Formats: sequence, structure tokens, C-alpha cells
Amino acid sequence: MRIAGTSYTDSLVSQLNFLTSQQYQLQSQVSTGQRIQKPEDDPAGMAQALGLQTDTAAATQYAQNISTLQTGATTAYSAMQQIKTISDRAGEIATLADGTKTPAELQAYATEVNQLIQQAVQLANGKNGDHYIFSGTKSDTPPFSATTDASGNVAAVTYQGNTSVSQTEIAQGTTLAIDTPGANTTGSGPRGLLADSRYGADFFNHLISLQKDLASGNTANISKVDQPALTKDEDNLIYQISNNGVLQSRLDSAATSTSNLQSSLQQSLTKVAGVDMTKAITELSQAQSTYQAALSSSSVLLQLQQSVLVYL
Amino acid sequence: MPGLFDSLSLATRAMQAQQAGVSVTGQNLANVNNPAYSRQRINFQTSDPVPLVGGIQGTGVQVAGIQQIRDSLLDGQIRDEGSVGGFWTATQNALENTQAELGQFLDGAAASADGTSSSTSSTAAQGLSTQINNLFSGFQAVAADPTSLSQRQVLVSQAQSLAGSFNQISSRLTTVNQNLNTSVSTDVDSANKLLSDIASLNDDITKTEAATGSTANDLRDLRQQKIESLGNLTNLQTSTAADGSLTVTIGGVAMVSGSKIQDTLQAYDAGGGQLQVRAATAGTALALTGGSIAGAINTRDGALASLRTGLDSLASQIIGKVNSVYSTGYDLNGNTGANFFTGTNAATISVNPNLSADPSQVQAAGVAGSAGDNAVALSLAQLAQQTDAALGNQTFGGAYGQMVTNLGNSLSNANDQVANHDSVSTMLAKQRDSISGVSMEEELTNLMTFQKAYQASAQIVSTVNLMLQTLVNMKST
Repeated sequence: MRIAGTSYTDSLVSQLNFLTSQQYQLQSQVSTGQRIQKPEDDPAGMAQALGLQTDTAAATQYAQNISTLQTGATTAYSAMQQIKTISDRAGEIATLADGTKTPAELQAYATEVNQLIQQAVQLANGKNGDHYIFSGTKSDTPPFSATTDASGNVAAVTYQGNTSVSQTEIAQGTTLAIDTPGANTTGSGPRGLLADSRYGADFFNHLISLQKDLASGNTANISKVDQPALTKDEDNLIYQISNNGVLQSRLDSAATSTSNLQSSLQQSLTKVAGVDMTKAITELSQAQSTYQAALSSSSVLLQLQQSVLVYL
Repeated sequence: MPGLFDSLSLATRAMQAQQAGVSVTGQNLANVNNPAYSRQRINFQTSDPVPLVGGIQGTGVQVAGIQQIRDSLLDGQIRDEGSVGGFWTATQNALENTQAELGQFLDGAAASADGTSSSTSSTAAQGLSTQINNLFSGFQAVAADPTSLSQRQVLVSQAQSLAGSFNQISSRLTTVNQNLNTSVSTDVDSANKLLSDIASLNDDITKTEAATGSTANDLRDLRQQKIESLGNLTNLQTSTAADGSLTVTIGGVAMVSGSKIQDTLQAYDAGGGQLQVRAATAGTALALTGGSIAGAINTRDGALASLRTGLDSLASQIIGKVNSVYSTGYDLNGNTGANFFTGTNAATISVNPNLSADPSQVQAAGVAGSAGDNAVALSLAQLAQQTDAALGNQTFGGAYGQMVTNLGNSLSNANDQVANHDSVSTMLAKQRDSISGVSMEEELTNLMTFQKAYQASAQIVSTVNLMLQTLVNMKST
């Protein structure tokens, strides 16, 4: 084939352009570690990578939700433990207050039980951050409000919260509720912490009744009515505490599986969008040496071309 | 009997012929870097012999003509390939522009495993995909902590980012659309200018060839260059008439015939500001299939339009779905019924302005009066996994990913086509160069040949001169 003057330089220019753009592409892959940067690099891979990023963002959010729930569960647990201590003491007093005690001693017990009631109300009105733990979803309202009579004794404790609990997503399609309403007298729904009509628990009323019986010296009622009632309250509390433990271990395992999910998503993303460094660097140095070879061979030939004039 | 004077004129004619050869060589060498030039060759022919007593005697050489070495079939192929190239290059440019304005790139650093090292270090602009993720993460965060005003503020600000992105992308893509229309209009004007140039060259060529009886090589080269430039803009057909003029037909309508312009291209508004091309006088719409005009129109009405429609549809579905769940919720003050998003499509989507001023108005609860109720916020967060029939049974993120893939596919295809075109046109150009290109070695050798022949004929002149002198001096002695 006859080679004219311009075809040689034209093909040289286009070859150098090609090699330059090849080097540029490989260089940018090596420096970012990504095989896919723009949709045109690999359209299907790009969609896959975006999907993996969405899944990763969701998994991160679930991990944060789990962490929020864990904080709530631990706060509730510590409050429940302290209320259990009060329940233990009340049960102890109920046992001790039999016919052998003097009225003065019974009065002392009555005063102590009054204190216990007020302490229990304070603990039940605990907060986690800016919201109340045991009000159900009415978390801006304190769950229990105590009214005292003229002599300073607690006359009644009313529950101001509701019995709904909020669900939080800990994994796709899986929600968990860790809240316990302070009381549930409706007969359905989550089990109340201190009062539940289905299980005979009604902690504050039983304590108030105990206090009244102690003040009036009615030891027969204490052993016949108050003591068994307080036993039911204690059972209810034990249930709630162990339930809290179950929820916390559920949250721990959810946290582990979410963290595993995040790692495997990251691996998948690297596989889809990451570049094989070894291969890319090898190809880059090949491209660079090809470019240099093209340049040096073309410069020799260009000199030859011009020298034809010398010979003629 | 041919005398000495006839020999003298034979030699003179030979010298003139060689001189012509040198000037043709000079013309070739001068145009060695002119890509539109095809080399010329001088053709010699013996001049008419005269019959004599001793036999038929030759009378020397004459220039038969100056021939242009050109393959017209190859020219046609190159022109058609130029239309293909113009189409795909215009498509590639438009799609690259669209991809850049969409701004969806993959930032590997922004997808770390625990998510904590992503947004704080990444300075790259966040694509729409990340912002859709952030919106639903925002709903999740409010669902996990419904009484927290700061989480609500974060949600509102993330929603505003998303709405802002939609607005910006929509307006940038509108600009791309306008630019494509402008390029169509500009190319149509260039094409019309080229048509009038071709018509006037036709005129010059026919007149010159009629007057001189030989081919007007340089004018034809120029006309071929104009045809190839026109071929880049639009596909066309040509046919050569007997008088040497070229008839140009575009889309079945004859544009140039002889030295007259029969019709021109016109860009007209086919509705909504989108330009199409038609024949100006005949009024028929032209369906162009090659060249950069067709490439721009095709991209504008194809990939770009489907991206813009897709984004509008995505925005409108997000607005509709979110609002329909959100409006059933109650805010911290017990109010209900307000909308989260205002607007109808990607250009107009916006967050309810009351929410950024007062985040307690975010309606997260399912019932009034319960600050810790998060039923509506939870449903809103779960919208991210729900498929939508209007979006092709995909989730919001999935539908967006599909749009990005489609754009990427179109651009990747255009890249392949441009690369194909480049290699084909390079091969055709090489072929043409091998036929029509000027080779310096060849021309310089020819130069030597003509010079030596000139010297030889000059020798004849001086010899005959000496002989004539001898003849004339015979008388005086």
C-alpha cells in the first residue's frame, strides 16, 4: 500500500491519543481504587453498586436504632431493679407486721411504707433523655401522679400514660418494642409494669392499702389481703425484669447480625466497584512503556522522512 | 519535409511540456499538508504525427491533460461514514453532558462499612441516590426517637437537600435540552451555508469545464470537502450530472440541483420548544438518520427525555406516597392533615416551609396527644422498601438506579459506536491517502525526472541552433 505524506503523521497522532487516554483511564482507576466511577464505566454494575449503598445506609440506620433501643432498655432495667428493691422491702414489712408488734412499731412501718410509695412513684417517673420511660406513647407526660391527704400520706396514685408502645425497626421488616407501660388495666395489650388487671398486680394501691392497714393496726388484713397482693406485684416485676433481659439479648444479637451485614455489603461493594489493583497497575505500566516506545520509534522515522530532501 | 525549424518547435514544445510537469509537481508539493487535496498527475501524449516520404514522423509531445487521482466510490463511502460519525459523536457529547449534569457518581469512600467515615470526609457532591437514602434514614431516626426535636430538624434538612437536588438536576437537564436545540439550529444554519457554497461551486465548475474542456480539479476538491462537511451535519445523497454539477438530496428532498438552491433546511418548533428539521420551501418534515443534527435530536428526544420524565415521575411518586401517609399523622401539637412535600414534579418539589421553622410540626404520631407514638414515621420509613407500580414495580431507589443504568447504557453504546467509527474512518482515510495522497519522495523524484527531460530538450534546441547557424553561414563563405 502506498503511504502518502500525511497518513503517517495522522496515524501517529491517533495512536498516541489512544495510548494517552488508556493511561488516563488506568491512572484514575488506580488512584481512586474504583473500577466504576461514572455510569458509563459499567451501567449495570453502577445500578448494583447504588443498590448496595442503599442497603448499607439502611443497615447503618438499623444499627443506630438498635443502639438507641439498647440505651432505653438499660435505663428501664435499672429503674425496674430499684423498684424491685422497694417491692422486696414492702413484702418484708408485710411479713413482719403481725400481731406481735406494738402499735408504735406498726406506725413506724406505716411511715416507712409511705416513704416507699413516694420513692416508687419517683422511680416510675424516670426519664431517658427528654421522655418518660413508663408512660407508653404519651412520653411527654409523667406516668404516675400521687395525691396526698391532709396528714401527708399518699392517698392515691393515678396512671396518666397510655398502654400503646412504639415499634422501632431493627432489621428490614422486623420491628421491636422495648417500652413497658406503667399500668395496663384495659385487659389487652402489653403487660403493665406496676399494675395489670390480668395478673392481679396493682402495686401502688396495694402499698396504699398496706399503709392504711399498718396505720390502723389491722394486722389480720395485712396477712390475709395485703401480703398475697404484694406477692402478685412481685411476680409481675420479676416477669418484667426477665423480659427486659430477653429483649436486651435480642438487641445484642440483632446488633451482631447487622454488623455482619454491613461487612458483607462492604465486601460486595468492593467486588462490584473496586479495581483489581495488581492488574490495573500492571496494565498502567504496560501502557506507559508502549507510549514511550511509540514516541521514540516515531521520532526516528520522522527524522528519516525529512532527510529525503537531503539525498535529493 | 520537416525542416530544422520544425525540430526547433518540437524541442520547444517538449520543454513547455516538461515545464508543465514541473508546475504540476510544484502544485502537489505545495499541497502536501492539505487534507482535502487529491494529487494531480500530468498526462503526456504524442502530438499528431505527419506523414512524410520516409514514413510517418512524430512531432513531439503535448500535454493531454492534468488528471486528478481520486476514487469517487471511496469518497462516497467516506462521506457516509462521516454522517455516521457525526451522529454518534453528537450523541456521545450530549450524553456525556447529561451524565455530568445528573451528577451521579460512585464515591467508594462514601460506602464504608460502619458509615461513620463517609459524609464527614467526602467532599464530592452527593448524588440523588444518597439523598433518597438519607430521607428515609431521617424518617427512621424520627421513628426511633419521636420526641427529639433535633432528629426532626435533621429529617427536615435532609428532605430539603433532596428537594433541592431534584430542583437543580431538573433545571440543569432543561439547560442541556436547550443547548441541544441551539446546536440543532446552529447546525441547520451551517448546513444551509454549505448548500449555498456547493451550489456556487457547481456553477463555477460547470462554467470552467465548459470553457476549458478539462476538469476543474481544485474546484472539485473544494466541493468534495464541502460535501464531507455537510455529511457530518446530516446524511445526504448525491448524484453527478453530465455537466459536472452535483445534485444534493437530503431526506428525499432535492436541495441543490445544478447551480440553483432548490430548497434549504429549516429548524422549526414542533411543540414545546423542541426543534425539528423540515425542508423550508416544500414544508415536509425531514426524518434525518445520520449526522450531528439527527444525533442531537435523537438524544434530546430519546435518552434525555426519558431521563427527565423518569425524574419527574420519581419526584411525583415520592411526593404523593409520602404525603398520603404523612397527612394522616399528628404532630407534637395535635395537628394533622398538612403535607410534607409541596410541588408536583422534580422542578417544583419542595418541603413544607412550616417544618423548618418549627420541627415540632412534623407529623410522626399515629394518634393525637401521644408524643412517643411513631406509627406514621415508621410507615414513612418503610416506604423505602415498598415497590411502586407507577415506577415499574421498583422501589424509589431501584427506579432511580434503573434510570442511571439506562443513561449509562446509552452512553456506553455511543462510546463503542464512536470507537468503531473512528477505526473505520481511519482505515478509509488511509485508503484514500494511498490513492490520492501526495508522497514527497515520489514528487521529488518526478521533479528530477522533469528537470532532466527539460535539460535534454534544451540540448536539442542548442544543437539545432548550431545546425541553423552552420546552415546560414554556408551562404556567406
